[in-house]
Amino acid sequence: MTNLEKYKKIFIDTFNIDESKLDSLEYNTITEWDSIGHMTLIAALEEQFKITMETDDVIDLSSFKKGKQILKEKYKLEI
Amino acid sequence: MPIASSLLKKPRLVEKLRKFYDYVQKNDGKVGTKTRGIDLNFNNACNLRCKYCFTNSPKGDHAKDYLDLGAIRKLADEADELGYFEFDLQGGELLLQPDKLFSVLEAIKPERFYLYLTTNGFYLDKKMAKKLANYKVSRVSVSIDSMDEKIHDEIRGRKESWRRAIEGLKHVKDEGMDPYLNITVGHYNANTDHFKQLLDYSKDNNYKTLLNVAVPSGMWQKMTEIICDDKDREYLRKIRKEYKNLVRNIWNPFDRNHEKILGCTTVNRLYVTPLGDVLVCPYVHIKIGNIFESSLKEIVDYGFKIKYFRNHSDLCLAGEDKEFIKKFMTKSGQSIFKPALAKDIFSKEDFVK
Repeated sequence: MTNLEKYKKIFIDTFNIDESKLDSLEYNTITEWDSIGHMTLIAALEEQFKITMETDDVIDLSSFKKGKQILKEKYKLEI
Repeated sequence: MPIASSLLKKPRLVEKLRKFYDYVQKNDGKVGTKTRGIDLNFNNACNLRCKYCFTNSPKGDHAKDYLDLGAIRKLADEADELGYFEFDLQGGELLLQPDKLFSVLEAIKPERFYLYLTTNGFYLDKKMAKKLANYKVSRVSVSIDSMDEKIHDEIRGRKESWRRAIEGLKHVKDEGMDPYLNITVGHYNANTDHFKQLLDYSKDNNYKTLLNVAVPSGMWQKMTEIICDDKDREYLRKIRKEYKNLVRNIWNPFDRNHEKILGCTTVNRLYVTPLGDVLVCPYVHIKIGNIFESSLKEIVDYGFKIKYFRNHSDLCLAGEDKEFIKKFMTKSGQSIFKPALAKDIFSKEDFVK
């Protein structure tokens, strides 16, 4: 499984959402992605990619797209 | 999305929420002795006359007592230090006196907390919702008893209650705060069409649904027939899987399989009364201290010395544990203003050394 596939799967599993909706997905636009859902997402990303995200990045991760950018630029993941 | 109320604009909250998450994960999904929330009732006056009110607001109990702003400010500072990340303002009815509410919000500094209000929604119009969002309120919980307007209004003791509450939830959502529809579930309504209509309405509108189990305290003291039985609990477990928007404070919110139990959150979620008394939760009217006499840390440490609150319980002590209820919640006249004292009600053996 590629990193992108793993990344997508985390969103799909965490928020029970269809893959086709991922690209436009933003924080607080679905019931599941609330504050608790956000922490669950962060924990899943950290566990999957063996990283510890800084608080600033946890706050900046406000959309599916933004998350990809953060993981790529800050955590040097090929995604 | 109004930016001010969002988690993503509250770095201190993110830090505390992460620590809570880490603790729970390391503790086998259980809450243990981790601090979680403060439920604050700074004044008990209310505009409605709900039949099951646990604070005896309909009787006008201590309606003129207010917790002063200095004490609230100190409480919030101490709670933040101790890692409490939720602050739930309750009444009484908070929106009855909006100026007082906004002063309290300023004292608490909501940018540090997942701050929410529990309201009957009667005065929750668009303008009010907008102002709450600007004050960095993250969530508003509105209690609904039935999708039948007449039934809700009859329970609440005032016409228009249902319509205004339903409208209020829409305004909360429009302003980007988290809308929670609160339902009280007991043996009398679990697994009924009546209850399911509420669940469906909340889900269809993309709200969260907070389930509070019916508790024999306040106006319902000694009414043990309302308590959920094993069958009712089985039903709640089933719908937890079916309705992914369901929340109970006793459930582990991080569990993606919607199965794990966080545990009863007595002391993890403290209740502070207008007199400054600290009770172990809103429904268990047992006092473990007073904020004018001790620091919050001293009160919390004392509370967790009591085995019933320190040890894990799969059941809500106040609403499901019949033995606990019989032993500790049936003292005549026990209320939020006349709580039993922990030092009197528990024996030496009930404390850890």
